[in-house]
Amino acid sequence: MPEVRIKTLPPPHGGKLVERVVRDPQMARKLMEKCSAVYDIKPTLFKGNPVRNVYREIMSVCYGFFSPVEGSMTKADLESVLERRRLASGWVFPYPIVFDISEEDFKKLGVGAGDWLLLRLKGEPFAILEIEEVYEIVPGDVAVRTFGTPEKNPEVVKVPFDQKHTGYNIYCSLNPIVLAGKYTIINEPKLRPPFDRFWYPPKRSREEFEKRGWTTVIAHQTRNVPHTGHEALMKNAAYIGDVKPCDGIVVNAIVGAKRIGDFPDEAIVEGHEMVHLAGYIKPERHLVSFTLWDMRYGNPIESLIHAVIRQNMGISFHMFGRDHAALGEYYDIFATQILWSKGIPSFGFEEPPYMVDGGFYIRPQNIEEFWFCPKCKEFAYSANCSHKGIYSRYSGSFIRGLINEGVMPPPEIYRPEVYKVVVKWWQKFGYPFNNEKYLKEREERLEVDLPHMELPAHLKK
Amino acid sequence: MAKYLGVIIDEKRMAAIKGTPLEEKVQSIFGGALRRLVIEVSDELGQKVIDQFTKARFDARGYIEETPAAFKRAVFKRIAEMKDLSEAVIEKVLAEDLDKVKEDAAKEDKELPVPDVDISDVLELQKNPVQKPA
Repeated sequence: MPEVRIKTLPPPHGGKLVERVVRDPQMARKLMEKCSAVYDIKPTLFKGNPVRNVYREIMSVCYGFFSPVEGSMTKADLESVLERRRLASGWVFPYPIVFDISEEDFKKLGVGAGDWLLLRLKGEPFAILEIEEVYEIVPGDVAVRTFGTPEKNPEVVKVPFDQKHTGYNIYCSLNPIVLAGKYTIINEPKLRPPFDRFWYPPKRSREEFEKRGWTTVIAHQTRNVPHTGHEALMKNAAYIGDVKPCDGIVVNAIVGAKRIGDFPDEAIVEGHEMVHLAGYIKPERHLVSFTLWDMRYGNPIESLIHAVIRQNMGISFHMFGRDHAALGEYYDIFATQILWSKGIPSFGFEEPPYMVDGGFYIRPQNIEEFWFCPKCKEFAYSANCSHKGIYSRYSGSFIRGLINEGVMPPPEIYRPEVYKVVVKWWQKFGYPFNNEKYLKEREERLEVDLPHMELPAHLKK
Repeated sequence: MAKYLGVIIDEKRMAAIKGTPLEEKVQSIFGGALRRLVIEVSDELGQKVIDQFTKARFDARGYIEETPAAFKRAVFKRIAEMKDLSEAVIEKVLAEDLDKVKEDAAKEDKELPVPDVDISDVLELQKNPVQKPA
């Protein structure tokens, strides 16, 4: 008889967990001595509004969320990612990860291949970029190739991407020069509350799972305060496992610059936490975590970065729902499930991403959708319930619309405790959703603070 | 494919349409927890609405969502006035009310009044989080 028990956590994507964080101040000083210039990290702006901060990518690389990626991609890696969603080494990876810089800044810095650049964040030394290669990109071209087109990717892309798509705008707004090379964090940032208690980078999440005795873990991707449909999805998807349902349900929120109109990240992580604090899922089985990433809203492409992150965290299964990490009608609403059930050849997947060379150990749990059915008297699974015309489908934007109109969502849609978390942050920010003011202020505040660290004398000039 | 605009009907709005033919068209959703009126519009008109507001979009159900509350208020006012749920309502709002809606929406984008809700119970629960800072 084949063994059906899952006894270990999956290996990191690429085989080895990347961790590029120097915690010894003496070593940090030695590394800074080798740097020839200093650069203050700036947010990427679209029409004057911050849409990305490369510091989040540096954090996610150095703490291993993006293993096996170790830094800003070389031209060969970038081309390989855009062409076939693989690194040059063959491991599946969906998005360009680049350190981009303006021509003006590049000239001022006077650095080239072989130089080390000290990156400063919030006025303090943060990380080092070991420059291996310098090359140019055409940002608009990178944007189009990242997300696909209806002509090249007819299986799932329905309409061309445009400036209503935040992820597309991120790539269109990149600077034209890329400095490629490995990142190393030399001044470990301190996570700010409330994010500090949800910080589980891969090494720590794996330790936590082992401490809790979890070997079967399912991931829930989120960029939303959870409604009862999300809760039904989490609870029911977790019935997958081995000889019993999954030991753990891990919520992994994507924290970063998001679109105007989404919920603030503070409300998202605390809203999910409230699901276990208020007892709707036992806290022994539920862990809330986050990854720093400026969401690209790339539906099937985004699902691949989710698989990278969550497998690195030690997670065995990933739930993929309708409209996964999507925005608007650019992709088929089941594009992610198409990818994870049969593949999307035009994106380089003749088979699902867990069956291809360089693919994943993590397994999908493709869920159609849950809706509220008054006849079933439950959050019914769409493949079960056939009470057409009386069920009510969930929609995050519908619920945001209710809140916007000052209507308290009924308990059938939102747990009252979760709604109160929204109100808590509404009181703090004066607004329940991301608006221009919130996004600008949070880009100054960021999610981290950095301890003071003296610059070496040669870099003070 | 047709698109839809849903307008939530609370007690006050229900009173405004009581006794009119609209009353019978009120739909119950989420097992009666909410009520709404729905206007079906063409793709073109739906897109025209979306184009007016930066956050607005079609959701996965084909509904026009994330329009300003001021827009929904204006649509309801015209529904009640015209006793109609046809595209003509939306056309009227776009033709005659749009400037005022946009003016109100600009204010809404900066600040929304916080609801008067007692949150002391969740603050109490958060005093002892299960997950501790790293």
